[in-house]
Amino acid sequence: MAADTGVEDGAGNYEVTGIPPLIMSTHLLVPLHVKYIQGLGESKDDLAYHLTAHLRLNAIYWGLTALSIVNHQDALDRDEMIEFVMSCWDEEAGAFGAHPNHDAHILATLSAIQILVMQDALDRLDVPKVVKFILSLQQPSGVFAGDSFGEIDTRFSYCAVSALSLLGRLHELDIEKTTNYIIQCRNFDGGFGSCVGAESHAGQVWVCVAALAIMDRLDVVDVPTLAWWLAERQLPSGGLNGRPEKLPDVCYSHWALSSLAILKKLSWIDADRTISFILSAQDSEGGGIADRAGDMVDVFHTVFGIAGLSLLGYPDLLDLDPVYCMPAATIEKMGLRKDWQALERRTTSES
Amino acid sequence: MHGVKRQTQQAIVDRKQREKSKIEGLLKLTDAVLDRKKGKDWSAEAFDATTQLLTVNPEFYTIWNYRRNILLNGLFRESTPEDINELLSGELALTMKFLQSHPKVYWIWNHRQWCLQNVPQGPGSDLDGWRKKYWAFELQAVEKMLNADARNFHAWNYRRYVLANMSVPRPESSELTYTMKKIESNFSNFSAWHQRSKVYTSLWHQGKLDPIKSKEKEFELVRNAMYTDPDDQSIWMYHRWLVGLGHDKELLEREIGVIQELLEEQPDSKWCMESLVHYKRLILTNYPSDRDKDLVADCVRLLDQLKDIDSARRHRYEEIHRAVVNISTHP
Repeated sequence: MAADTGVEDGAGNYEVTGIPPLIMSTHLLVPLHVKYIQGLGESKDDLAYHLTAHLRLNAIYWGLTALSIVNHQDALDRDEMIEFVMSCWDEEAGAFGAHPNHDAHILATLSAIQILVMQDALDRLDVPKVVKFILSLQQPSGVFAGDSFGEIDTRFSYCAVSALSLLGRLHELDIEKTTNYIIQCRNFDGGFGSCVGAESHAGQVWVCVAALAIMDRLDVVDVPTLAWWLAERQLPSGGLNGRPEKLPDVCYSHWALSSLAILKKLSWIDADRTISFILSAQDSEGGGIADRAGDMVDVFHTVFGIAGLSLLGYPDLLDLDPVYCMPAATIEKMGLRKDWQALERRTTSES
Repeated sequence: MHGVKRQTQQAIVDRKQREKSKIEGLLKLTDAVLDRKKGKDWSAEAFDATTQLLTVNPEFYTIWNYRRNILLNGLFRESTPEDINELLSGELALTMKFLQSHPKVYWIWNHRQWCLQNVPQGPGSDLDGWRKKYWAFELQAVEKMLNADARNFHAWNYRRYVLANMSVPRPESSELTYTMKKIESNFSNFSAWHQRSKVYTSLWHQGKLDPIKSKEKEFELVRNAMYTDPDDQSIWMYHRWLVGLGHDKELLEREIGVIQELLEEQPDSKWCMESLVHYKRLILTNYPSDRDKDLVADCVRLLDQLKDIDSARRHRYEEIHRAVVNISTHP
């Protein structure tokens, strides 16, 4: 468990020492991350770029959110982005695929809506049609399917709740039915799984807790037990894992920390250590953040690392809304802010 | 990307050079398959093209959708149940192959599930014959996946799905044997502990097991595990579930005694202290008495130690500290 920590030697190299990095060894490399995200659309000479086409809209949402939190929302061309989103529209289904000519899916649809909201371009959307698509995916049990083929997951319930709320159409949702399914996914450790019977997992905890927050149904959460379980996700390295006795990973900085912020228990972990864990996973040459120090970066870990830093009060970042995983100012302007609590923004990176 | 080591700039340049022809091939194949899809081509050739593309990229969900549509709108039409069975058999073999190299890809598990739901009736007058055969095999298949990675939550979810849908249901109690095997090979397998909690809850609920007797056996198991590895949080979390809300005072006091004893052997054990605080608080809340002052003092002493040895969660201990003191000042 202790061997997961890396310490920087000052030149951007890391070695495994087994000793938790207690000192903030570095800072957030904002210009490099901006450059890294800007470069993502131009990495067409990379096989991985093409093999992740099925995640393209999600990736754009991740990139745009990361840029917004580091206060560089304009680093990507707005019109080009909106045109790309609209080119992913699947007219037959009435929703978005992840890429032009890919099938509609609720995951890509939420990303598209989030991007359009952040770019203030919701007027481009056929709202009644997409609302119809989302509502059609609710199953008799109350859970949502991802598409017409019927795979179910509480992740899809979150997508539905978040999307409807962003579109101002939450009143069309059967909240009782949606909540009841989530309640059935609650486990003895206070956490939630992907479907009835499934093990608690920090990612699934976040989708369930955030969906409940949007529906104003946090009353069904056993807060002391769940916040305890979430706080125990932090390992001596400062990083957080997603389940007991697993390795830490930067993306849980978002899943677990956002959940804690919604439960107003973010102070239950050691912020300084998590901050240095996230910073240690940066690529100090090419930009971007990885799951752990020394690994290959990607935009998914980049946004969730930055999201975690924002919630922990890292200096000079904009506030992230942990319920929607979007800039807090955007959500506030729409009148959708829920009662969460992040750590106070620090003025310098000294702890 | 999870757990993929970072490359040097030179290695990236070299890799990109090598990937050039692969990218060209992938793009050509993708365009060809998506064109067929657009033209609603439900032919066997189109089906083979999807196999080729999914072999390169099993996460391409649109292609899985297209493949199912080819089956439904093309290959299944005018097919005998035997033919359909043959096709689905092939699908199961293909997804198994994919899962071995991509055990965490949702779309593959999803496709496998869809195949099983579409197994036709037969052979002949034995309406459930094929289904029985497949479902029995599924359990072995998923066990193989869990042998490779005992924490793969996709595999555990699939296991529960299979168990719930087998044409000849297995007695639920056999799942206790399976999870025990998993726990014995690794106490830290929280997925197995979790599964046990679900199986027991269901068996108690149906009146198939005596909760008191079976809990006693579990306490014994957990006690062994605690002594073997007192730092393993899975065990302590499971223990907390067994104790529950603490409506059995005698049991609560007995377990406090057991943990206290372990703490004497392991004076720095965070989990001993943390659990003692929790259980003592249950006594304070459920059974107020004139011993409360001592219990509060115990909790405060343990919490002070915890703030020290588990400083990352200091604020949580401080919050509990305030709550405990509050109980004692407002009886």
